[in-house]
Amino acid sequence: MQTARYIIKRVLLAIISLFAIITITFFLMNLMPGDPFMSEKASEESRAILIAKYGLDQPVYIQYIRYLKNLFHGDMGTSYVLQKGRAVTTIITESFSVSLSLGARALLLAIVCGITLGCISGLCKDRLPDSIIRVLSSLGISMPGYVVASALMILLAVNLGVLPVTYSKPGGWIMPMITLAIYPTSYLTRLTRASILEVMNQDYLLTERAKGMSEFVVVFVHALKNSLIPVITYLGPLTASILTGGFVAESVFNVPGLGRYFVSSISSRDYTMIMGVTIFYSALIVIMNLVCDILYKIVDPRIKLD
Amino acid sequence: MKKSKKMLAALLALGMAAASLPMSAMAEESEKITISVTGGSEDSMQLNTATGSYLNGLSACRHLFEGLYKLDANGDVVLGQAASVETSEDGLTWTFTLRDDITWSDGEPVTADDFIFGFENLEAQGGDYSSLLSDVASSYEAPDESTVVITLDAPCSFLPSVLAFPSTYPVRADYVEEYGDAYATDPEAAVYNGPYAITSWDHEAQVVMELREDYYDADSISVGTINWMLMSEESTALASFESGDIMYSDMCPDEEAARMEGNGLFYTAGNNNYCVMFNLGENGNDVLKDANVRKALSLAIDRERIISIRDLNDELGYTLACSGYTNDEGVDFTDYADPWYDTEDYEANCELAKELLAEAGYADGEGFPALTYIVNNDSRKEIAESVVNDWKEVLGIDTITVEKTEDFSAARREGNYDLAYFGWYMDYTDLSNMYSCLVGTENANSFYSSEEYTAAYNAAISTADQAEQWEYYKELEAILAEDLPVTVILHSMSSYLFDDTNYEGLVYSCGNFVFTYVTAL
Repeated sequence: MQTARYIIKRVLLAIISLFAIITITFFLMNLMPGDPFMSEKASEESRAILIAKYGLDQPVYIQYIRYLKNLFHGDMGTSYVLQKGRAVTTIITESFSVSLSLGARALLLAIVCGITLGCISGLCKDRLPDSIIRVLSSLGISMPGYVVASALMILLAVNLGVLPVTYSKPGGWIMPMITLAIYPTSYLTRLTRASILEVMNQDYLLTERAKGMSEFVVVFVHALKNSLIPVITYLGPLTASILTGGFVAESVFNVPGLGRYFVSSISSRDYTMIMGVTIFYSALIVIMNLVCDILYKIVDPRIKLD
Repeated sequence: MKKSKKMLAALLALGMAAASLPMSAMAEESEKITISVTGGSEDSMQLNTATGSYLNGLSACRHLFEGLYKLDANGDVVLGQAASVETSEDGLTWTFTLRDDITWSDGEPVTADDFIFGFENLEAQGGDYSSLLSDVASSYEAPDESTVVITLDAPCSFLPSVLAFPSTYPVRADYVEEYGDAYATDPEAAVYNGPYAITSWDHEAQVVMELREDYYDADSISVGTINWMLMSEESTALASFESGDIMYSDMCPDEEAARMEGNGLFYTAGNNNYCVMFNLGENGNDVLKDANVRKALSLAIDRERIISIRDLNDELGYTLACSGYTNDEGVDFTDYADPWYDTEDYEANCELAKELLAEAGYADGEGFPALTYIVNNDSRKEIAESVVNDWKEVLGIDTITVEKTEDFSAARREGNYDLAYFGWYMDYTDLSNMYSCLVGTENANSFYSSEEYTAAYNAAISTADQAEQWEYYKELEAILAEDLPVTVILHSMSSYLFDDTNYEGLVYSCGNFVFTYVTAL
């Protein structure tokens, strides 16, 4: 009952947050200099036709009200620039399915490798495996995605020829997956290591060892579960961001995902796409945060959802 | 034993015969080749001929649609969907008779009405080229299903180039009405009358085009399938080219150009110019309305240095037109016209510039007002800064600041600038297209207006005689050299990656690339 009330309260808050995001984004977007029809070759008459066609000649507040009305009917409009003429909802649906497929693999890779390496590193504190893992995770965190993607592409696709450059070819998902996973893997490794080290000094683990439990059970059943709280906190926004793709990985490996639109919609002043991806991403973040809060409760029943 | 050998031989013969059946059937298909190419990203893949303006989409349209004229294997404009054309004595009425074997990809015949609808739709949609035809034509009509009559305002020698341009291709009204904004954004949302039809469009990834069997010239085309990749990153395109995934890329990172020269990178005439534009309109600073000041600024630019720093095979700019246009005697137009300044003696130009600036009342830059030079991207900002540096060092003018602005087009259109980047990229290979940019104030935004210039331009496009036409173009260059609404710095080259070790027959014209005539070596 308490959980249900909590969820209803959070959903209502989420709707208010989304409304605020839509409003702020809409007006900020219209404050940006330029418009979607900035071609150097376009004549005044041509521009006037297009601006009138999309209602951009109306006052901003009227455009805003009209946008909200259409949004309530599930209509996000059509793209002005990036996929000119196609419905924004169709574009987001198509591209999100690609990002979701790729992101889920990257997320799985990051969670499995990150938590495993973090545990090994924590359990082997100050020994050789710990040192190696710490160096690698520091490298993974500090290397920009563009460098990782370019290095992978030059090494594996151009020099060795073992993987294709673009996503659409067989096996083309491997390099973008690695590119997407490297940073979160490294971050999760460090997070899990720190968390494991903190939990391993707790008294209840000493008691369990005294009771004669094997070290495996102590670490992977009791210690790991309790050390996952900070990891889960990070997993919420990580899941939202990784499932919506990454600008670098998608651009470099030509992945037809959603991630590219976060940047390209703004630079091209594709108003409807800016609004569409912002609303979609915000909703996803809100949902993932809610899921994480509920996961806290499952992992640690002492936590109160309020 | 003998019997079993005979049986084995019979079985083998039967097997071979069976195997040869599909092989012979495949042989015909295998004559057609599959190529993978890229010309840019999804946003540039606009296939609505009425609104598309990106080279990637325009090039794709040249494969999917066809106008009254088309480009042949040499890049020359020849009749396409029209079987013949008759021109009236006064040159004002052009009557086209359509071929009798032209169809859309759904089997419907291409009619004259499809052309008329295409022309009307072009004007109505408000694309960048919406006035391309209406600028020269006063009316167009279809007296019957296979006749298109175009009436011109004045004789126009470049009408074939306009009618070979994708914006003037025929359009099926029923598809535009059914799909509206979504027309030609998915394979099923359009029909095609060109050599190819789209069979799949994986958005942001690739468009697959297949040769249409019922296209009238299908038998002479080798490329059966084109995988048109949609890429946004130059480095991805280069890596795909180097790994053999694609045989053509319209993109190559500038920093890799030197390495790729001789390894698939080709340079060709860019048909463009890179200029500094002076605002001669009412919002512009008065100092720039003094022709001596503009001349001084033009003469002081060290163009050779800018070109050597860029290291991209640019040509020196001393006429508005670029090189590559020759007359019957083989003389290039840039050699035929008089250069705007002495291209051999930069030092003398600098001395003259100082004198002119002093005459205008700004000796050593003293009292020169603060001006803003706007550009719209980083590479243009670098060139602008180099130019401003020349003005500072040679003329002592240190009051001009370069500003990269997000609202560049609007600023230039509304005249909210003093100096600005200006570059004109020709749409088709006819010199008139270069000079048209300064007729009226509509496109150029320098707010330059010259009756003398407009008269010479109209005279040039009204004649089909090249010698006479070139004289007018030469006159246009002389007028511009005197008036200087813009000053030309350089003409950049177009470049592309092409696997010439395995293929030949690429047609490249004014940034448009056509693979219809490609064959495997």
